[in-house]
Amino acid sequence: MSIRHGLLALLSRGPRHGYQLRVEFEASTGATWPLNVGQVYTTLARMERDGLVEPGETDDQGRVVYAMTDAGRAEMERWFTTPVVPSDRPRDELVIKLAMAVEAKEVEVAEVIRRQRTATMRTLQQLTRAKRDSAEGAARLLVLDSMIFQAEAEQRWLDHCEAVLKEAR
Amino acid sequence: MTVLALAGVTRVHGDGETAVHALKGVSLQVGEGELVAVMGPSGSGKSTLLNLAGGLDRPTSGAVHVDGRDLATVRDLAALRRRSVGYVFQDLNLITSLTAAENVMLPRELDGVRSRRARAEAMAVLTEIGAESLADRFPDELSGGQRQRVAIARALVGERRLLLADEPTGALDTPTGDEILRLLAARCAAGASVLLVTHEPRYAAWADRVVFLRDGVIADATDVPMASAR
Repeated sequence: MSIRHGLLALLSRGPRHGYQLRVEFEASTGATWPLNVGQVYTTLARMERDGLVEPGETDDQGRVVYAMTDAGRAEMERWFTTPVVPSDRPRDELVIKLAMAVEAKEVEVAEVIRRQRTATMRTLQQLTRAKRDSAEGAARLLVLDSMIFQAEAEQRWLDHCEAVLKEAR
Repeated sequence: MTVLALAGVTRVHGDGETAVHALKGVSLQVGEGELVAVMGPSGSGKSTLLNLAGGLDRPTSGAVHVDGRDLATVRDLAALRRRSVGYVFQDLNLITSLTAAENVMLPRELDGVRSRRARAEAMAVLTEIGAESLADRFPDELSGGQRQRVAIARALVGERRLLLADEPTGALDTPTGDEILRLLAARCAAGASVLLVTHEPRYAAWADRVVFLRDGVIADATDVPMASAR
């Protein structure tokens, strides 16, 4: 995924200028991917070079309005019809830490799990509170849901580790 | 104000060699307007804790107070359960031959409240939780989520302010389960207190405070109540 795909998706709703794209991008994805307006304009310039968007009129504040081209539409369709392949994920520090805690001497693994579980639950509570208080659109809520499911998976994995290690003792 | 207080509660099933220590000195308080979740694997003592809190079981040692009353001194626990404590289970909550409204009226009628008034109270609480349109339907005509909403209404009808929920989302898909927790959180914001037992992190996370139960003891808890964040 690149910023350009996100911008194409927003431009499919109609022509927009850069600042507007930035605002809409963040409204849809929440704080998961903050963009500055400079990134947006740089990306739009490259997309124009590649024929995916074309600049149109300038609005009353001197901002250029961009529209999606046919090539842009084709690129967006290609993106949405291609499943995402799990890329090389960055190393998960928690997984490594727990594996090493099992191997290491003088480390109480159960204690490492207990601390992490409480910390992860706090994160889960914060995300749930954000969801409860969120009056914004469906896209934003689904992004929060994704983070909730990830934190939940971590919590389940920790419970699993605890049960397995208890069994092994 | 503390609505539910467990102080050094121990529960031993059986005795001698085969004795099972379900709870080993658990202390826990649930304040007014607070949603507290107890998380733990099966066998951790969650259900025992809930049964003791609702007066369905008595502790081997320690004390349970509901609304300031020591349950050991309460003669008529059934009356206490009708008037002070509401229960919601995973399923089998509703009587299938009664409509939703009649189910909600039931604890009030058992308590001697006249039918007309019991119905008015039932409709009031069903309206509060946005389920008034379900009043005349039978449980078979309701979805799983709707049945749980009605069960929550029944648990709160009358003056009851403490709700004990045992895996109330167990049979529901996640959006429906989230809706049930959203409802419980809203009832807490309106002054009720909820003690929720669950093994699902996503539902426990709706609570102001999460308590982790392991082998009959509280292993950990997330911080102080988050009432200010509401």
